[in-house]
Amino acid sequence: MKTFIRPRLRKPLGIALAGTVFAAAWAMRGGNAWWLSVAIEVTVLVGAITFYVRAGDDNDEGALASSRADERQKALSLRSRALGWNFTVVTAFSGVTAGTALKASWSWPFLVILAVAGFGYLLGLSNYGVAEEEPADDAGPRHPAGSPAT
Amino acid sequence: MRNRVREQRTQREMSQAELAASLGVSRQTVISIESGRYLPSLPLAFAIARFFGLTVDKMFDPDEEEAGT
Repeated sequence: MKTFIRPRLRKPLGIALAGTVFAAAWAMRGGNAWWLSVAIEVTVLVGAITFYVRAGDDNDEGALASSRADERQKALSLRSRALGWNFTVVTAFSGVTAGTALKASWSWPFLVILAVAGFGYLLGLSNYGVAEEEPADDAGPRHPAGSPAT
Repeated sequence: MRNRVREQRTQREMSQAELAASLGVSRQTVISIESGRYLPSLPLAFAIARFFGLTVDKMFDPDEEEAGT
């Protein structure tokens, strides 16, 4: 499906879709504040349009926003995500620690975030080849055991 | 690491945008490579060297520091 959508439209559409789902969830929640779902939807649509406009800029942010990033810009995005992950883990760990010290019942979401972050990290290590590391090729034909160099 | 991207590009009277379009990268990436702030991947380094008709070791010199860094 992704290939049918123009690169510049992909992220704004993703933002609009995610925001619409959240606004719908808010509306389903009902109550006196149901009207906030309309405000959420309007805000999200304005945000998506702004994102689309910014995606046309000739800079790194524009390239990332319009899904046309080159290798340096992808690396930049990856490092930024890693920094965000670090902040998330530190925050979650602080929440779990504070919740434990205070015997609070609100600390379990922090634990879930910490567990998901840890699982994601291990999944990444597994997917990107660390688990499939081959043994060192020390006894290759160019380095026979007992060679003069040893 | 010093490179000769700017030198080769100006010799050919190319703009950074033209070189970027030829290499399939952004203008900002060409600027970053020329200033030594970004070390390109091996495939991109080969693409740059091939584009200018040089070898990678002629294009990028790990023994020389970038001027001003």
